[in-house]
Amino acid sequence: MTAAPAGSHAADLAIAMRSITKRFPGVVALDGVSLDVRRGELHAICGENGAGKSTLMKILSGVYRPDAGALEIHGRPAQFSDTRDAERTGVAIIHQELNLVEDLSVAANVFLGRERRTALGLVDDRAMEAETARLLEMLECRVAPRTRAGSLRVGDQQLVEIAKALSLNASILVMDEPTSALTEAESARLERTISRLRAHGTTILYISHKMDEVFRLADRITVLRDGRHVRTVDRGATTPKEVTCWMVGREIAGHLFHEPRPRGDTLLQIRGLTLPWPEHPRGYRLADVSLDLHAGEIVGVAGLMGAGRTELLETIFGVSPPSWTGVIQLAGRPVRFTHPREACDAGIAMVTEDRKRLGLFPDLDVAGNISLCSLREALRGGLLSRSREEALVAGPLRDTGVKTPSPHASIMGLSGGNQQKCIIGRWLLTEPRILLLDDPTRGIDVGAKAELYQLIDRLCRQGMAVLLTSSELPELLTLSDRILVLAEGRLTAEFTREEATEHRILEAATGS
Amino acid sequence: MAAADSPTPGGFLLNRSEWALLAAIMVAVVLTAVVDANHSYWFQPLASLRDIARSTAMLGIFALGAAVVIIAGGIDLSAGSMIALSTTVCAATMLALAPTEMVGFKPVGGAVVAAGCLASLLAGFLVGTLHTWLITAVRLPPFIATLATLVGLRSLARALATSTTAALLPTKNSQINVYDPAFKFVRDNVWIPVAVFGLLAFVTWLLLTRTVLGRHVHALGGNEQAARLAGIRTDNVKWFAYCYGAMTAALAGLFYVANESVAAPAIQARGHELNAIAAAVVGGCSLAGGVGTVPGTVLGTVFLRVVIDAVSKVIKTEAEIYEGLIVGVVVVLAVTFSQVGQFAKGGRRIFPGVLGLCAIPVLALLVGSVVAMTAGPRVGIAAGLAALAMLAAVRFWEGRPKALARPV
Repeated sequence: MTAAPAGSHAADLAIAMRSITKRFPGVVALDGVSLDVRRGELHAICGENGAGKSTLMKILSGVYRPDAGALEIHGRPAQFSDTRDAERTGVAIIHQELNLVEDLSVAANVFLGRERRTALGLVDDRAMEAETARLLEMLECRVAPRTRAGSLRVGDQQLVEIAKALSLNASILVMDEPTSALTEAESARLERTISRLRAHGTTILYISHKMDEVFRLADRITVLRDGRHVRTVDRGATTPKEVTCWMVGREIAGHLFHEPRPRGDTLLQIRGLTLPWPEHPRGYRLADVSLDLHAGEIVGVAGLMGAGRTELLETIFGVSPPSWTGVIQLAGRPVRFTHPREACDAGIAMVTEDRKRLGLFPDLDVAGNISLCSLREALRGGLLSRSREEALVAGPLRDTGVKTPSPHASIMGLSGGNQQKCIIGRWLLTEPRILLLDDPTRGIDVGAKAELYQLIDRLCRQGMAVLLTSSELPELLTLSDRILVLAEGRLTAEFTREEATEHRILEAATGS
Repeated sequence: MAAADSPTPGGFLLNRSEWALLAAIMVAVVLTAVVDANHSYWFQPLASLRDIARSTAMLGIFALGAAVVIIAGGIDLSAGSMIALSTTVCAATMLALAPTEMVGFKPVGGAVVAAGCLASLLAGFLVGTLHTWLITAVRLPPFIATLATLVGLRSLARALATSTTAALLPTKNSQINVYDPAFKFVRDNVWIPVAVFGLLAFVTWLLLTRTVLGRHVHALGGNEQAARLAGIRTDNVKWFAYCYGAMTAALAGLFYVANESVAAPAIQARGHELNAIAAAVVGGCSLAGGVGTVPGTVLGTVFLRVVIDAVSKVIKTEAEIYEGLIVGVVVVLAVTFSQVGQFAKGGRRIFPGVLGLCAIPVLALLVGSVVAMTAGPRVGIAAGLAALAMLAAVRFWEGRPKALARPV
């Protein structure tokens, strides 16, 4: 399925990708993807998390090398061995994750690795600062070039990333979900910058799953799903609904969860929770947060990056230093945990946000990853027994539906979804009353997501209380009985399932 | 992902790289027996075995401690100084309890010997506690904390030796002689350190593979943040690991006293902490933490001692000069060989760019100069040139163009 219309001349193409394939241990991230981008167009790439959008862009910008396939830039074959190579060819990427060196100034970050020098060969700070100021002005960003990058708000940091890409004078600019951390006003500012760049003839690849943005900005839209190219269409020839349908590919059985769940007693009650943040101008990570969580209920917490979702769960779980004020009551008794161990013992479990960094033990096998919190039950005569451990983990392996060749396989060989099921299984063994899930399906493919939703729904129906955060609104809307919205550390809204819509949640989350 | 990375890499009893290490030990022994002009492995097998067994056991005891610390994701640079402190504390305690016997070269009695040994082990526990406090409460990186004690503990031991002898003996001395028959007995019976090493290896193996604490050590080293979030009291696990490291060094210190009949803190075990770390690393422990086994560490220790012994057999005079060089080369080769898979897959080059080009003459010069010093200048020049040619060939072979697979 080639995107370019017949007769389109190769020289008109800024980018031509042919059958690009990229494999990672356990997953095929891209499976023979072909894509044409015309010179000067704004081409949107849409797809669910795990569809392969970011991998494709990382290949285009030289971060990864494809396992198979060919790439042409402006009609010439290109093989990038690193990002510097790609930059020389005129391809710059604005990454979804921020890549700033926090201790350097904004200007130093913009020119990192490409420092301007004076005639004597010394670093020419003045020239770099002047150039940075010009770029930031173009982005309508009021940040002094000498400011330490780490002291900026997330939105401003994102703009610095954009300035960094602009400083390359790239003819092809890749934007990987640039607005995911921006407020409405900042997004509007970005859109004005985009139209200015387009006036200069820059080709832009724009990755997003926000349909309104895509349909406002794009000339053409390409949909990826599970590492495959689904189709490329002109914006005028389709509708947001159709694109969403292609992205998902199959109906997620959302209606399954709409049967009302019986709600039990109040398990967790939080009143006036405030978590200070001394080194930050805002002064707090959370301010005056109150919520109730009942047995058999799923409460979703929505919010942009940096809104305090993770901090809320971490404070409950005793991860953060106990400098918070307010009241947390567990089944009517006030608690103040200083270590996750105490929270575990009190019947709370937390599945962390960043699986690789905060959840997995790469050197332990599947069984070891699951049994870690309940090893006492695998003891025989004071020593760990392999057979007891296998018996112990057989339950969660079956309940969560982990697909693994053996309990002693390497955890890193499993797919993201199966790894996440293992971590949930780890916590189920501790028989928690409250389950805290921090963005549990990030980077997991659609099929595994649906299975996780069913698992979470089932646990909840068995009487567990679930506090769920997610970066994806559809996920919150599918699972939650109630949705709370955080914006800059404050609760700004609470919706019941019936009241909640993506639009209303976004409004509350961006404070607009 | 290479098989060596998986938690239970295939293999009976030992994993693949451990079998390779065992084979390397055999090869080294056979080569030495052949190349050595005196053929001492052939004509005096028992004496040779005794030498290697003693040196292996002495190093192995605290290499096991180093391995536990490394698997827990830390590093203990202070083991050599801890040994010096241990020898001094042991001797000073005995001197304090039985000054007349110590001066008169008489037996001091079992109780006094036991007190000396216990005092040393206690010192190990205290040092381990200090390390953990510096690392977890003061938040020093383990490298810095144990670098401070590496320098500090040896100085403390010297001060202790000097002040104890000044107070209790007619003349002050920088070392304390130990003549008790119990220590002589240990020195003359090499099976004792070997048995202690074997027992300690078994206990450490049991601890790391079959106890909750051992599992937590692996988890801590593999992913500290995740371990804490899984409810593991990581500070307590670290406390255990650093105490285990320091106390095994203290235990090794007792054998140093026995072997050398003296506590000489200025020179004893100087630099030996690096041999212990090297043994653990050669045995497959990753300095990134989380990875490592007791059999691997034991084999790594044996390999290191066998190679050092082999070189001392081949180079008759002043072989100890080359000990550091051997340890360095063995560590580099062992870790490089464990990564051969990555180089072979083509993702990485061993001589990339200008840096690679410059590294080739450096390596050739190293080979040439060492050979020249041990076997004469002509052989040295020939060896250097041969190395240069071989490495250049590797670089040339690596640099050949590799096309991406293209679909037809």
